[in-house]
Amino acid sequence: MEQTNASVTRTPLDSVAVKRKSKSRSYRQSYRSCLGVASRLGLTPARRLTTNRKAPESHNITVNPEHLALLVKNEWQLAYVTPLHQFRHTQLRSYARHLSAFVVAEKQQGLAVEVSGLQNGFKASMTVVQGMSEADDDPETVLIQIHSKPLFSRPDDPQKLVWSGWLTCINGNPEYLHSLPKDFTCLPLFVYKGAENLSSLVKSWVQRTFDCCFGPLELSQTSLQWLAALWTNCHAESNIQHLRMLWTLPSAPPLQVTYAVDPHDVWELWGSVRKGSWGDGAGEARWIDLEEVASFMQSLKSHFYRHFKLDLSAGILNQVSTALGSARFNGRIKISNSAYVITTLTLLTECALLKMPI
Amino acid sequence: MDESATRLLQRIVRRTPTEKLKATLEKWDRLTAAQRRSVDFTEPKWALIEKLVDACKENEFKMKHITELEMILVIENPNQGMWYTFQLVDPEDDAQSVDLLQFQEQFKSHLRELKRNVSVKIKKHTDQAVWIRIAWGDSFSRPNHLKPTYVVHQLQSPYIFVSSLTSKLKPLLLQALTFSTRHLAIKDANLSGRKLTAIRDLLMKEYQQVFPTKYPSPLAENNQTLSNLNIEREHAEASANRHRMAGEAFGDGTLPELQFAVYKMETKFKDPTNVAMTERDEPFRCVVKFSSTNLLESLRHCAASGLASTPVTPLLSSIPLKGRNYFVITDNAPGAASRAQQPQI
Repeated sequence: MEQTNASVTRTPLDSVAVKRKSKSRSYRQSYRSCLGVASRLGLTPARRLTTNRKAPESHNITVNPEHLALLVKNEWQLAYVTPLHQFRHTQLRSYARHLSAFVVAEKQQGLAVEVSGLQNGFKASMTVVQGMSEADDDPETVLIQIHSKPLFSRPDDPQKLVWSGWLTCINGNPEYLHSLPKDFTCLPLFVYKGAENLSSLVKSWVQRTFDCCFGPLELSQTSLQWLAALWTNCHAESNIQHLRMLWTLPSAPPLQVTYAVDPHDVWELWGSVRKGSWGDGAGEARWIDLEEVASFMQSLKSHFYRHFKLDLSAGILNQVSTALGSARFNGRIKISNSAYVITTLTLLTECALLKMPI
Repeated sequence: MDESATRLLQRIVRRTPTEKLKATLEKWDRLTAAQRRSVDFTEPKWALIEKLVDACKENEFKMKHITELEMILVIENPNQGMWYTFQLVDPEDDAQSVDLLQFQEQFKSHLRELKRNVSVKIKKHTDQAVWIRIAWGDSFSRPNHLKPTYVVHQLQSPYIFVSSLTSKLKPLLLQALTFSTRHLAIKDANLSGRKLTAIRDLLMKEYQQVFPTKYPSPLAENNQTLSNLNIEREHAEASANRHRMAGEAFGDGTLPELQFAVYKMETKFKDPTNVAMTERDEPFRCVVKFSSTNLLESLRHCAASGLASTPVTPLLSSIPLKGRNYFVITDNAPGAASRAQQPQI
């Protein structure tokens, strides 16, 4: 039964929009225009707004627990990367050496005296993170880390991690991945954290070496709403503790509204909005429709409107957070629960693919 | 001058910007003319600290002189820290005739009975308010002057503003205040904010109010030329209405600067399109917090520009009307609209 639901709502390959009863016309118009753009530019129809996703479930991830712990405890910044040219997963060690040399050289630029190499030496390391990609087409995730000694440390002190970044592609659109020429590796999502000057150094090195380009990845309102719905859906398995949304309304001075809902109540609201069978607990993976997300958000906004006579649609959704993670409009994300890393990264990979200019 | 007084003086000088320090020292008026001349306010802070500590040591000041200086500083700059409002209720028969001296004595003695080793300083500022500074100690330690509690009692009103009070000491202070002002009880007024002047102005309604009138503008001429002036007239009328209702709800001109308002909502979810949720018995619990650099100004702008539908909902207009910024909203009688309810202390 889930399959027939999915086939009805899956977007067709030609550019005729499916006529269905949609509660909010703006969503229908926006993705219709997105399809129009794609076909006009002669792009493969592979990159379009997904209208349904698999409901997230906790995965037993076979990733090195250290790497997972690193991913979970920090807040990351997001960027998209165009496909990398002639990137070999086997040559990571030599890439790491080049990167270290590049960072050290850039840092020393402008200094007249040669600083002894060990003092502020930056050492980059690149490792493959096995087990993160789900689909067969996804290239393996690469973790880049830069260690360095703090300024006034003794020679015996170990080096500290000052910058880390992940190049990843989780469940990337298979048609798009196949449409790339042979030499290109597509790792569109770049998740990083660290000092701004190191980030720009790493980005410029990757751009020079692999002929690609970076850009900031902001999370659109739709993506934030997807995250709100997906995380709420997980409440059955792991307590989200609250669903907190931060809106900014354009008054003078700007008004910030923090709307935090009790987890059990918001879960019941989500259940009442879902079409199809509900309530048989965690069973097979079920699909979530964009319409359901839209009406979920609309219900929350209308409850707010009933009391305050303020329409939240007039403002911008800046941040969505639950105990499972938090996501911000300016492209920062924090995943607090390692079980849902894959689903969150899937959504982010898709955002990155959509935002890429190619 | 003992060590704790020195430390307090150093902290005061370090934390205060130099211009404010200069004005406060003049108001304090305890340094001799020679000492005042020797202090050069263009020097770096550490030099100033040393000079002032030496000057105070010369004059053999005690802790009470330094606390006097701190109190003058806080009275001049009350918009720091977090202030919480309380309201005295149930005055006894002689509450009106309590005079300042009586209040001082009773407050000090009652507080000392409740907690030993407290240091209390009371000062009447203009005719509006009484300021109290309390440094808490206990049977084993001397009063800690580095973490004082400040209390402001707005005269001619039942309101008391408190800052920097721990929850352990709260009942003691409230009891002493209630007793010495001859009331029977005190409750939380659910209004808090960073700027004391703002919350005080809000409660005392010391901002420009707009009162509803039947004819807000002079009656218009009857023979207006038609054509598309009609459209502008329609919009102008609606816009003028919105501005008027926004002003009636929140006030005119400069509004007191509140930073936030919190609503704890426990009302039922009602939506005709969503039958499952509407039939639920339990309320839909959520907490809504509005924050802005000037909350009332933002809300007035929302109402005037149409972001918020007018007439302004009583939930938002209660902020200036009742002088509160913390509300618990519940449904009352079946079918009744939700209204603000005061929580128990």
